[in-house]
Amino acid sequence: MTQVNRLPGGLVDRSEEVKFQFNDKWMRGYPGDTLASALMANGQLLVGRSFKYHRPRGVFTAGSEEPNALVQLRRRAEQEPNTRATMIELFEGLYATSQNHRGSLEFDLLAINDFFAPFLSAGFYYKTFMWPKAFWEKLYEPIIRSAAGLGRLSMKEDPDSYDKGFLHCDLLVIGAGPAGLAAALTAGRSGARVILADEDFRPGGRLNAETLELGGMAGHAWAEEAVKELAEMDNVRLMSRTTVYGAYDHGIYGVLERCTDHLRDSNGKPRQILWRIYSKRAVLAAGATERPIAFGNNDRPGILLAGAMRAYANRYAVAPGKQIAVFTNNDDGWRTAADLYAKGVEITTVVDSRDKPALLNIPGARHFGGQAVMDTVGRAGMKSIQLTNGQVIPCDGLAVSGGWNPNVHLTCHQRGRPEWREDLCAFVPGSDLPPGMVVAGAANGAMTLAAALSEGAVKASAQLEDLGIKPKGGEMPQAEDEPRDCAAFWHVKQSKNRAWVDLQNDVTVKDVKLANTEGFRSVELLKRYTTMGMATDQGKTSNIAGLAILAEEAGKTIPEVGTTIFRPPYTPVPLGALAGRARGKDFRPYRLTPSHKWTEENGASFVTVGNWLRAEWYTQPGEKGWRDSVDREVLQTRKSVGICDVTTLGKIDIQGKDAGAFLDMVYANTFSTLKVGRVRYGLMLREDGICYDDGTTARMGEDHYVMTTTTANAVLVFRRMEFVRQCLCPDMDVHLISTTDGWAQFAVAGPKSRDLLRKVIDRDHDISNDAFPFMACGHVTVCGGTPARLFRISFSGELAFEIAVPARYGNSMMAVLNEAGKEFDAVPYGTEALGVMRIEKGHCTGNELNGQTTAHNIGLGKMVSQKKACIGNVLSQRPEMIREDAVRLVGFRPVDRSRKLIAGSHFITKGDTASMANDQGWMTSVAYSPNLGYSIGLGFLKEGQNRMGEIVRAVSPIHNTEMEVEVVSPHFIDPEGERLRG
Amino acid sequence: MAEFTLTAAPPLAGHDETFGDTRLHAPQDFAIVSVALPLGGETAAKKAIKTAYGVELPAPGKSVVAKGKERILRLAPDLAFVFFTHAGADAETIVADKLKDKAYLTDQTDVWTALELSGPMARAALERICPLDLYTDAFALNDGARTVMEHLGTIILRTDDDTYLLLSASSSADSFLHAIETSIKNVI
Repeated sequence: MTQVNRLPGGLVDRSEEVKFQFNDKWMRGYPGDTLASALMANGQLLVGRSFKYHRPRGVFTAGSEEPNALVQLRRRAEQEPNTRATMIELFEGLYATSQNHRGSLEFDLLAINDFFAPFLSAGFYYKTFMWPKAFWEKLYEPIIRSAAGLGRLSMKEDPDSYDKGFLHCDLLVIGAGPAGLAAALTAGRSGARVILADEDFRPGGRLNAETLELGGMAGHAWAEEAVKELAEMDNVRLMSRTTVYGAYDHGIYGVLERCTDHLRDSNGKPRQILWRIYSKRAVLAAGATERPIAFGNNDRPGILLAGAMRAYANRYAVAPGKQIAVFTNNDDGWRTAADLYAKGVEITTVVDSRDKPALLNIPGARHFGGQAVMDTVGRAGMKSIQLTNGQVIPCDGLAVSGGWNPNVHLTCHQRGRPEWREDLCAFVPGSDLPPGMVVAGAANGAMTLAAALSEGAVKASAQLEDLGIKPKGGEMPQAEDEPRDCAAFWHVKQSKNRAWVDLQNDVTVKDVKLANTEGFRSVELLKRYTTMGMATDQGKTSNIAGLAILAEEAGKTIPEVGTTIFRPPYTPVPLGALAGRARGKDFRPYRLTPSHKWTEENGASFVTVGNWLRAEWYTQPGEKGWRDSVDREVLQTRKSVGICDVTTLGKIDIQGKDAGAFLDMVYANTFSTLKVGRVRYGLMLREDGICYDDGTTARMGEDHYVMTTTTANAVLVFRRMEFVRQCLCPDMDVHLISTTDGWAQFAVAGPKSRDLLRKVIDRDHDISNDAFPFMACGHVTVCGGTPARLFRISFSGELAFEIAVPARYGNSMMAVLNEAGKEFDAVPYGTEALGVMRIEKGHCTGNELNGQTTAHNIGLGKMVSQKKACIGNVLSQRPEMIREDAVRLVGFRPVDRSRKLIAGSHFITKGDTASMANDQGWMTSVAYSPNLGYSIGLGFLKEGQNRMGEIVRAVSPIHNTEMEVEVVSPHFIDPEGERLRG
Repeated sequence: MAEFTLTAAPPLAGHDETFGDTRLHAPQDFAIVSVALPLGGETAAKKAIKTAYGVELPAPGKSVVAKGKERILRLAPDLAFVFFTHAGADAETIVADKLKDKAYLTDQTDVWTALELSGPMARAALERICPLDLYTDAFALNDGARTVMEHLGTIILRTDDDTYLLLSASSSADSFLHAIETSIKNVI
């Protein structure tokens, strides 16, 4: 195929040809073409099938508003569906296919839908597929889903990479048309930090599409000069191929930069970048979008918006045919006729809905004033048009202009409402713009070149002055105020055939009327009922016509009908760009314990705990499953000694003269009385008296405490304490800093733990029971002088210590402890064994402190001091919180010892029905105790403290199980605490 | 002689790679001690700092290089970090000897992992992960700030025209390195 529709001139680079494929056919274009213009140049007017009726469709616009020409770009894993051909920059080897058809593009089997159109009106599936009800999910919905949709995903992993970033500027200029360039030049020349973003690959906006002059220069040439000047300014960042898709709070804009979409290969670089731009001020110069007029069969390939057809002729040097007709309700449509004629294209007719003399003299063109196009003939292309006066005029292309709509979208992203301007027959930005934003140029209703230029400079100057920057260089070249008269004309009432309002969703004038008839009269309901304004184009070309027809039917004005609210994104943003680089292993950061390397080398299986990777157990040769490993670790620890990396617990360094008083405030129990060298268990409450976190805090010096928190709450507790420090206790001399990552901390637990540590801790430190009793703490040195901290605390219930060394020694320390422990058959143990031992001992964790339970529930009610002010102690004493029959933490074991308890089971008194009304509590934690030889559990039971020995039923409707369990003390092992004090 | 010896292995120790003219490396023996000014004792603490290091405590968000090459970064009205080169695990003692109990000290050396990013592409790389405005005037030489990069809490310091010192939690050092490396590779 040759470039049969190529015209002379244009802004494409004819010095080289670009070869590309569409539906496996090789074609040629030029650098500077879009896929749409290149297809048109090659006479390929049919580019896709419509959404519902599978009607043949062609390119309709020249920009991001394109409703029709959606293609699948690239192939295999790189394939991207629903890509607008009007936005695809042509590159060598480009491969695209049409979409939404069964069979070939030319002979689409689903085009049969078009013949059933009378049955497929708006909301047809709501009405049609009501019966039988059971068919909906199994039959109707799958069929509809299969037929619906446009392009197809490759179903393969996206091989491209994406990135994100952050930019800052004094002034963000959105759009590089005449107003945007004027704004950027003014701000750039004034020394402000400017970002100029434009979705096109060639800045200039309509200047590239028109033949208008500025200061004696062609518009596109002036734009080139302006861009060159801006590019040389260090304070200006030019971002082409970049769409500002959302206006968010505080001057923050969401921006998508397409970095390599115009290249054959990304070469390992991010394909797209999702930027967050922090702007002090913004100028929205997003231009305007032309709208069509609805008339019979107004959707054929070869029918384009008039401004788009002008853009194709002037910028890309192509036309959709040789004999073009123009249908307009405004002066601007006449320029299309004039420009195409100047390019040598025959203009057969100019049909103006306004009954007024011809605006321009177009040689050879017949002028029909006060008439309209009523119908068209053709299938995959145009053959003729029929006017309301009955005349049939042959043509192979039709340019339609129904006027222009300012692109107000971003002004509405923070609930701003646009206002109707009668002279433009369009909505313009309202007064409630996003803070910091002004609107200039066509986006603001300044529809002529001179007005746009002037407004761009003036609005930018005002923004600069607001920032305290003196504006300079805002003088713009002379430009004309071209005719722009427009008379409202939305659809041709005489049309008998279907007239399309929304091309992308196959919504017709009749559908809109039907919605109104059936009571869907709110504009929001109209959208949802008809799907008008949905999908990739979000109704950029269709919304106003739809509103106008609804208004007409409802007997209201357009502003009375109102608009649906515009929300981000302005144009589609790929999910890959939203994900950025967060994928695979690096989906989110991970944290490693200091002993990770040793742990990995010694058979550990890892579990994620928050962002941490912790050893859950260590597999030994011959072990067939995790239980083998965990049982061994538990038994060996209780028999001799076990070692566990507990670095993940939060550590907060607390210093200051008022540190003790501060801890009295944040903990429910008292810490100011704790002696130096001692540790105490602490319980934190929320303001409402519910348990928040627990841990131990050691007093390392007179003014120095070291707190541990649970792993999960480390950051939250720190943040809360910082809040208390700064906001509740600003008069206290207390200072907090996290040392979680600074110390590698190991639990060394079991009857041989002291013996093991004696081999590691330097001999001048006495760690005997007398010198270093239960709940002691202190500074020691290990392995010949390395500073360390030692704590005599026990989570397992055994004689146990926790020893901390600077994190850099953590891996080595783990190796040393295990090496030193060999003579005791020491074992490293993971989180599962840790969990089993704490359940055996009856210690709480997050399962019990789950945000619903009180100190009273867990049996620590007396720990909440009423003698001091502390967070939560007042509200913890509400009558409902301290009821005698409240649930209490108790232990459970199955009556049939061979059965396995299930966490989450609810307790029901024997003889009662298993219902919520009879719910007595729930099982929080369960484990197989290798020491006892059966399953044990902890849980909350109503008045549990008085029900020891009672048999209740543990019911789990989720697992469909039920078993009898005996209520026992939560302390299964060493209830007297003799071991840990030993 | 102790039966066992411990070997120090800070994360990213020795990391040093170049991407054209841009370099990313982990400073060796990088010691950090936090200095908290006691409430009511600020003047004495500042005086002690001046005496010890020969420089005034800078304003929050600013850092200063002392005579002994130590860098002091003021992170908050009552908090500063002292950075200096020291191999041992006794960095806190070194600062304590200088400040004579006039401030509360905490060894932060092992809490953080440090990476220095320098070269012509440093700022462009940081644009991809750093939400702060690093424009030369907005983030001047010796400025420092706390921020978040790729979900990781980070302290950033501009130590030279095109050189930034980055500190993040040592436990997530691998993720932090990956974030910065990816940024560099994406811009060069």
